[in-house]
Amino acid sequence: MVDPIYIFVIVLGLAFLLSLFDKLSRNLSLFLFFLALASFVYISGSWFISLLSGKEELIIFTAGFKPPVSINLKMGLIEAFFTSLTNFLGLLSAIYLFRKFRAEAVYSLILYLMIIMGINGLIMTRDLFNLFVFLEITSIATYSMIGISSDLKSLTAGFKYMIAGGIASVFLLIGTIYLYRSSGTLNIDSMISSVGLLTTKTGIIALFLVIIAIMIELKPFPANGWALDVYQSVNSGVVAIIASGISAAMLFVLFKLTPLMNENLLTAVAGIGLATFFFSNLLALKQENPKRLLGYSSIGQIGLIMTVYVVLIKAGFIRDSQIVWLISGGLFLNHFLAKAGLFWLAGIIKKEKLSDWASLRTSPILLFAFGTFIFALIGLPPFPGFFAKWQLVMTLAAKGMIFWIVIILLGSFLEAIYLLRWLGKVLKREFQEKFAIHFSRILPIIIFMLLILVLGAYYSTLIFAGNNLNILYLPMLFVFLLFILDFLPVWIKNTLTIAATACYSYLIFPQLAGYKNIFGVIFLIGGVLLLIPGYIKKGKRMGFYPFVAMMYAGLAGLLISKTTLQLFTSWEIMTLGSYILIIRGKKSEPHALSYMLFSVGGAFAMLLGFGLLFSVNGNSLALDSLANVSQAVGTIYLLLGLGFLTKMASIGLHIWLPGAHGEAETDVSPMVSAILLKAGMFGMIILMSAIHSAKIGFVSLPYSLGWLGAITVFLGNLMAIYQEDAKRLLAYSSVGNLGYVLFGLALMTHLGWLTSITYALNHFLFKALLFLAIGGVVMRVKTKNMYEMGGLIKKMPLSFISVLIGIIALSGVPPLSGFAGKWMIYNVVLEKGWYFQGLVVIIGGLIAFLYCFRLIYAVFLGQLKDNHRQVKEAPIALLIPQYIMIFAIMLFSVYPGFILQPVGDFLKELFPQGALIWNEGSAFTQFGYWNGGLIFMITGGIFAIFFLLLFFLNRKAQKVKQFNIVYAAERPSRPELTHVGYNFFAHYKKALGSLSQPYVTKFWDTMSDLFHSSGDFVRRLYTGNGQTYILHILLFVLAVYYITFGG
Amino acid sequence: MIDFQPVKILYALFSIFIIFNIGLLIQGIVRKIGARVGKRYGIRFYQPYIDLIKNYSLRTSITHGIMFYLGPVFRLTGGLGVFLFIPIIFGSVYFQNFSFSGDIILVLYFIFFGALGMALGAGEGGHPYSAIGVSRGLAQVTAAEIPLVIAIMGIAIQYQTFSVSEIVAAQQGGIANWTMITNPLLTILGMVAYLGSMMRSPFDVVLAPQEIPIGPPTEYHSTFLGILQTNRSIFPMAKTVLFVNIFFGGATNWFILIIKIFLIYMWSVFVAVVFPRFRVDQSIRWFYKYALPLGAVVIFITTLLF
Repeated sequence: MVDPIYIFVIVLGLAFLLSLFDKLSRNLSLFLFFLALASFVYISGSWFISLLSGKEELIIFTAGFKPPVSINLKMGLIEAFFTSLTNFLGLLSAIYLFRKFRAEAVYSLILYLMIIMGINGLIMTRDLFNLFVFLEITSIATYSMIGISSDLKSLTAGFKYMIAGGIASVFLLIGTIYLYRSSGTLNIDSMISSVGLLTTKTGIIALFLVIIAIMIELKPFPANGWALDVYQSVNSGVVAIIASGISAAMLFVLFKLTPLMNENLLTAVAGIGLATFFFSNLLALKQENPKRLLGYSSIGQIGLIMTVYVVLIKAGFIRDSQIVWLISGGLFLNHFLAKAGLFWLAGIIKKEKLSDWASLRTSPILLFAFGTFIFALIGLPPFPGFFAKWQLVMTLAAKGMIFWIVIILLGSFLEAIYLLRWLGKVLKREFQEKFAIHFSRILPIIIFMLLILVLGAYYSTLIFAGNNLNILYLPMLFVFLLFILDFLPVWIKNTLTIAATACYSYLIFPQLAGYKNIFGVIFLIGGVLLLIPGYIKKGKRMGFYPFVAMMYAGLAGLLISKTTLQLFTSWEIMTLGSYILIIRGKKSEPHALSYMLFSVGGAFAMLLGFGLLFSVNGNSLALDSLANVSQAVGTIYLLLGLGFLTKMASIGLHIWLPGAHGEAETDVSPMVSAILLKAGMFGMIILMSAIHSAKIGFVSLPYSLGWLGAITVFLGNLMAIYQEDAKRLLAYSSVGNLGYVLFGLALMTHLGWLTSITYALNHFLFKALLFLAIGGVVMRVKTKNMYEMGGLIKKMPLSFISVLIGIIALSGVPPLSGFAGKWMIYNVVLEKGWYFQGLVVIIGGLIAFLYCFRLIYAVFLGQLKDNHRQVKEAPIALLIPQYIMIFAIMLFSVYPGFILQPVGDFLKELFPQGALIWNEGSAFTQFGYWNGGLIFMITGGIFAIFFLLLFFLNRKAQKVKQFNIVYAAERPSRPELTHVGYNFFAHYKKALGSLSQPYVTKFWDTMSDLFHSSGDFVRRLYTGNGQTYILHILLFVLAVYYITFGG
Repeated sequence: MIDFQPVKILYALFSIFIIFNIGLLIQGIVRKIGARVGKRYGIRFYQPYIDLIKNYSLRTSITHGIMFYLGPVFRLTGGLGVFLFIPIIFGSVYFQNFSFSGDIILVLYFIFFGALGMALGAGEGGHPYSAIGVSRGLAQVTAAEIPLVIAIMGIAIQYQTFSVSEIVAAQQGGIANWTMITNPLLTILGMVAYLGSMMRSPFDVVLAPQEIPIGPPTEYHSTFLGILQTNRSIFPMAKTVLFVNIFFGGATNWFILIIKIFLIYMWSVFVAVVFPRFRVDQSIRWFYKYALPLGAVVIFITTLLF
């Protein structure tokens, strides 16, 4: 084992010798430089490994003297961990900067080594004065390193850094002196053991000065303008060291000093951290410069980690306990790796605008890395940040610290906004030029990307420990395989995914029971069906299949989740996969963003709900425990409900849906509309079957949900009739359809749930059918506007039949399966006595006729356009699943009992009363009756008789040409003018104008504006003037002092 | 419960035959009355028969495609469907049609079936006037159905059943038991809905012969038109029978049924004579502005009373 003191020895030695060697050869000095960095990694790494395996920690006093004369170092497990990380970062960053180092003067090598040595010292030292010395070494080396650059901006930023650092050093030095005076020691450990001596006024102020100095180095809001300038303008390799390395060291120093702090100071630190986290993210909202954006994010993340650590200690956890390091360590690793990686990427792209980063798309591996880092920062699985955040929320909730959770989640949400917007721009924007790729620059990024993935997997084993069913591993392994196999042609990957989904369904179906069977059919068998259209694509379709598999993995995970953690992880994996699928559409960027923001917001509400559940239910993660909730029932219900309802797109939370579903690719729209929406419903079923009634104040939540569902049906359908875009029409129709589902569930009766669950299955069938058929049309005619189509029945008869069956099933007209739902709605409304809501639902259902007709008329009937005369029928891969679904709809129509009976049987467990009574194919309620098969026969009979009659009577009729119509003996105008399709229901709009105003969109826009403009306003604080920044720092110090200690 | 025997098909056919003739005769008589009121001589009362026979004997030589065929078929299936699922004569074993296979909700949705189907066929014709007519027609139907569904819900609340036979049964024993007397407001709502569905002024802009040549059926002629005319004599009668059943105590024999049908039918005729035509947006607004609040009041009162 090499003594860590050699790190310092090597640097000090090389500092003198490097110039000499450099005279001989630059390559020699570079070799030694890298050798030194590698040896640091080896030294700290080997200590980390041996300490992990139980070796005793090492305390060093150099030369046998006591400090301050000597250097007092400690190499414990945590020190080894931090030094290993920072040294590894140092090595990688140096590799990243290789070309720069080769070109620049040898001094930059020396300075770089000094920074790394300083960081090591900061982490290992146990002596306050040493701390000061190492801080100075690090800082001065960093200023100089920045100063070497000839870039003016970088230079001024370095100067501001120096001023701020100078002030911090002054505070630190004065504080140290007075601490020495009060306690008689400079050693931190002795100081901790005699912490009583520090309760004097001098002691407290001295401590305050030390802490505030370290805080300044950690860039607290608002005293951090200088730091932002540094992040923005300094070379990316160096910034990676500052943002990840030095920040890590300073964080660790802060952690080291926490035993000295009293309650007041701890609160102050936590509060500053929280404010920094929140405001940094708020201010970043309007930021357009990528490096400055990363700066905001960095500062915010450091604030978060600081808060989390201190809050956990305040909550009574022991400093070095596993849970504290699990959480703050997870967040830290997440930030450390992702931020360094992103800063490195920034150095490669070298663009000043977020949208210019779109050129990343030229390099799939870098794009993948970028996505990994962004998703890690947002806190999505399978990255460490996700698991740490989960554990954090559970832990804090168990301690009743809800306030902290709320602010942390709010800040995280703000962070998600700008990160996702950035990701969207990268994925969708146009780009002009490529960037130069050098191996030395990419290697570090890839290593960190892999590291974060491995750590994510490792973290998942830690957090899932105790939940022996690691449900997501098998499908996630397949997802990973697909990422590796992404170079294969599309048909191979499609076949693989279909096979894997089918096999996995086969594996998990035996585990499903009750209503989960229905969802199993929708999620998995439906999933396989909707993968078939994938064969229409040619080429490679990079980045599609891993995410499809991810979405299905999440959906399958939902089905077999037994704990809240499994459910939430599956939920987030599903969200992540679906986001990428949605954003693939040509114009999907804003819609995918809005989808994802609602999803993330909803997920945070769920997370808080699960946290509350965890706290009131004796720290149980079991999903079943939902049924035993006795406290805070209303709040839990509301929070979980909010999460699920965003996915179900209930009115108010629906604005993401039309764009997201409407703009998605041909085969993605049916997936997200027919399958994904049901995930929200699945969640609601879990929630509502456990908690039957919940109240907030006087408001009964299921009752409110009933109204929400009813209004969703009405407004969703009403909006659908005004759409010109066929896919948006279907998307709005889905909003309305899911309203039925919600209404049915909210009734909380046997019949209500039966309606809801069978309607869900039916919706899956007809909506997938319609989206596939319309998708095929859109593919062929290259427009989504219905008024630009028309007369396509002659060109695409098979698609026409699909749409015809689809709209009959949708509209609920007998004899097809949709009628079952309508019939049950009437009965259940009467049974429950919710007449007013029920009538809103029913009237909403009437409006559905309008868009159903418009869809089929404007697309397939009327006048064929000249430019569509050569259009062909949709590809066979699109038609096959359609006809399977038509078959299923017909089967369901003739034998409704086939589905209704088994569903009714298992619903009897939940709601024993009010089941349908079956007699020879007729279903009876206490009010009415209905025989699906018989109706089908009678209707079919009449239909066939007259159809055949007409056919027979007019057997000699000839098909006439398109324009051969009764037109006052004139020839009709162009098909564009003869086809009445545009603004088809104008009179409806005129009659009900105010009802179709986009109030909800306006509301969310206003909310968004509020955050963005307040962020933009506060951002003006940062003038870029060094003097102003000093003022900020001084005011900050004073403010913190007065707030902490009072006047 | 269910006792389906093939012989019922014969009974059903017979009742269709009767109602078909009633429909044709009422059409003729109403037109005749209208003419006499307007000091004209008017048509012969059996003119609709002649028109029908003429249309059925014509052979067309053109068609616009399969969907064009399906339009009238859908329409007539809808009309017949409505009729076939309503029990006609209370207490009679012969004239119950197929009402054992579904209740009033089925009937309600069959009303939409025809509208949607016709709209499809008319669309295939490719005539812009057809499309305009359909757009108007569907929009108005969805608004006019509002009082209808509310009224049916009100009936169901009052009688606690969706079965038309049971609703009629509950009204037996004298005029005092009719819904008209027991729940007059509900009946008013129902009669408003009746107006909306009869294609007479003020809600007849869909066909609007003066503005656009006969609306959706513009492209239909000969046998197609014949089928549509057949439906036009069955469908309104079916709806009227439904109203007789749910508001006016049903009928225990054909004579009473015919009297009631005629009287109810005349209600729409009277209103049509008095009020001028609404534009579609006006009629939609009318239903939302007056019929919907009335419906809310009716439901409220019905829940209080029953």
